[in-house]
Amino acid sequence: MIPARICPCGPVFIRGLPFALRVCLAIVLSCRAAYAGDVLHLYNWNNYISPETIARFEERCTCRVMQDYYSDNEEMLAKLAAGATGYDIIVPTGNALETLIRQKALRSLDKPALTNLKNINPAYLDTAFDRGNQFSVPFAYTLTLIGYNVEKMRELGLPTDTWAVIFEPEYLAKVKGRVTVLDSQRELMAAALKYLGYSANDTGEAHWKRARDLIIRAKPYWAAFNASSYIKELTVGNIWLVHGYSNDIFQANLDAQQAGRGFNIAASIPKEGAVLSLDSMVLHRSGPRPDLAHRFINFMLDGRNSSELTNLIGSGNPNLDAMRYIKPEIAQNPAVFPDPQHLVRLEMLRDLDRNQRRVLSRMWIEIKLR
Amino acid sequence: MSNQTAKLPPSARLTKWLVCGPPLVFLLLLFVAPSAIMVVASLRFPGEFGGLAPVAAAPGVLQGLTLETYRFFFGDFLYAEIFVKSFLVALAATLICLVMAYPLALLIARSPKKSRDLMILLVILPFASNFLIRVYAWMILLGPQGALSQLVNSALGAFGIGPVHLLFSPFAVLVAMVYVHLPFMVLPLYTNLEKHDPSLLDAAQDLGANRWQRFWHVTFPLSLPGIYAGATLVFIPVLGMFAIPDILGGTGDMLIGNLIKDQFLGTRDWPFGATLSILLTGAVLLCVLVAARLGGAGMRHA
Repeated sequence: MIPARICPCGPVFIRGLPFALRVCLAIVLSCRAAYAGDVLHLYNWNNYISPETIARFEERCTCRVMQDYYSDNEEMLAKLAAGATGYDIIVPTGNALETLIRQKALRSLDKPALTNLKNINPAYLDTAFDRGNQFSVPFAYTLTLIGYNVEKMRELGLPTDTWAVIFEPEYLAKVKGRVTVLDSQRELMAAALKYLGYSANDTGEAHWKRARDLIIRAKPYWAAFNASSYIKELTVGNIWLVHGYSNDIFQANLDAQQAGRGFNIAASIPKEGAVLSLDSMVLHRSGPRPDLAHRFINFMLDGRNSSELTNLIGSGNPNLDAMRYIKPEIAQNPAVFPDPQHLVRLEMLRDLDRNQRRVLSRMWIEIKLR
Repeated sequence: MSNQTAKLPPSARLTKWLVCGPPLVFLLLLFVAPSAIMVVASLRFPGEFGGLAPVAAAPGVLQGLTLETYRFFFGDFLYAEIFVKSFLVALAATLICLVMAYPLALLIARSPKKSRDLMILLVILPFASNFLIRVYAWMILLGPQGALSQLVNSALGAFGIGPVHLLFSPFAVLVAMVYVHLPFMVLPLYTNLEKHDPSLLDAAQDLGANRWQRFWHVTFPLSLPGIYAGATLVFIPVLGMFAIPDILGGTGDMLIGNLIKDQFLGTRDWPFGATLSILLTGAVLLCVLVAARLGGAGMRHA
């Protein structure tokens, strides 16, 4: 089956059109058909590749890139589980990558075709999700950290380098109702576990319970669990402190500057450590064009092409060759490119098994209801 | 019933099947079949990566049928608490809708025929824009910089009470629930009230009933079927709603809809999600049954 985006105009729609229009449409469609042999199907995150990069690749390979989008890994996995096929390339995060590998849904990579693989920082290769990078090539990463309104936090004298500011009532009392945390069981538990000095991947029930109690104690001071509109709330100044993703906080600051809000929004990696989500390009087994997919991956491993995403959305970049093309204000931002001392405290989340998921889900309800 | 059917001539029996057939097929395909699938799903084990574990597989793999999700539900007060909470929210939204919709429906029904259509059009007009966009609009209306928040907080400030946050609160959830579902209450009420015979009110007046008595003893009892229909149309969607608490809710606004959505996406526990859905469907059916009984009784009473 071909993904639905290829032909957005269904037959019902076509039948409803006047004849002349239908002829035009037929001509357009037949022009598209000329490309039929050379189409790359990319299933990617929303807004996760620069349009210039796509245009350049289409020009270089005289092919078309068709994109479908998802907004979280679960959505992508659910769509694939429901039988979606025809995607050459997918860009899952580590734990979803692990799931896809164990489901045997991926094609192994033809390494000799990927001459630019040497550009990738070895720190991001050979992860626990895919030992030896048999299936995956790092694309970009996001950090889950503290984002804040610089002026407000300075005014209130609050620290911004520790999770304590998100979890400790003594600090929270000053920003009551002005804080949001992510509406994500794993991310919020990871932050609490990190603050308590455990690993983000700790699954001991006693440790989980301590983290739960920490969250319940801090909850009355938070405005909401929010994973989408906190960007806007930060930008307009309703919310001053968030637990959020580095790309989103970067975006919030861009928007605030563009709107001339008169304040700055910044991100910082807490000293206790944080979660790093590494998104990798993989080849789905159902993709009809592995040859094009390899060309695309090699193209994206080129420093200039890779840098464009970082310049666009402020994502972390595992490509060493990309550094010289990245705007200096991003390249020097320690919350996008952490220094070695912070880097060692970053952790990637592993997938949980079904029993652990059930235990965590029950705790999550307790957190929401108490 | 069966005796009556037997006595009917063949052509009448055919007509009966032709009339009952399509709705029956509709119910079978779109209600009975999905519910049966959910019941089966609720009895299985969760798959390792989400989805369902196989019913039969190679030895050593988790498989078969189980009642464990029902044990979870009934062995833990927490889930009942969410159900009760959701029912209370749905009940509150229904009552507020009723109180707001009744005068409006009455006003429209008693207006001249010409302006009636325009007024009904205005009631339906919000449906022209997308549901989510209308909910997002409430984020702006209720935000701390919105006029409403500032008005409320300056009034509270005059009494020395600290500022309250309207957005991200149970209040915001209830407001949006009422706002979104209000037309569903107005329309059935209007359809009912429009049919009332005005001469009944004249008769009541002749018999010495004042305005209030005319309403309470004539109009209100006659409108009960409309109330039950409207209440059902509001109560049930509110009960399953997850988008509004997600968007406008604060840190404690989790309803059954959110819980079920979480089971299918975040937790990837399809069997438990299916169990919750089935129990919710059962509870809703019970409500409809009660409403139908009450509605029927109201009809006979009238």
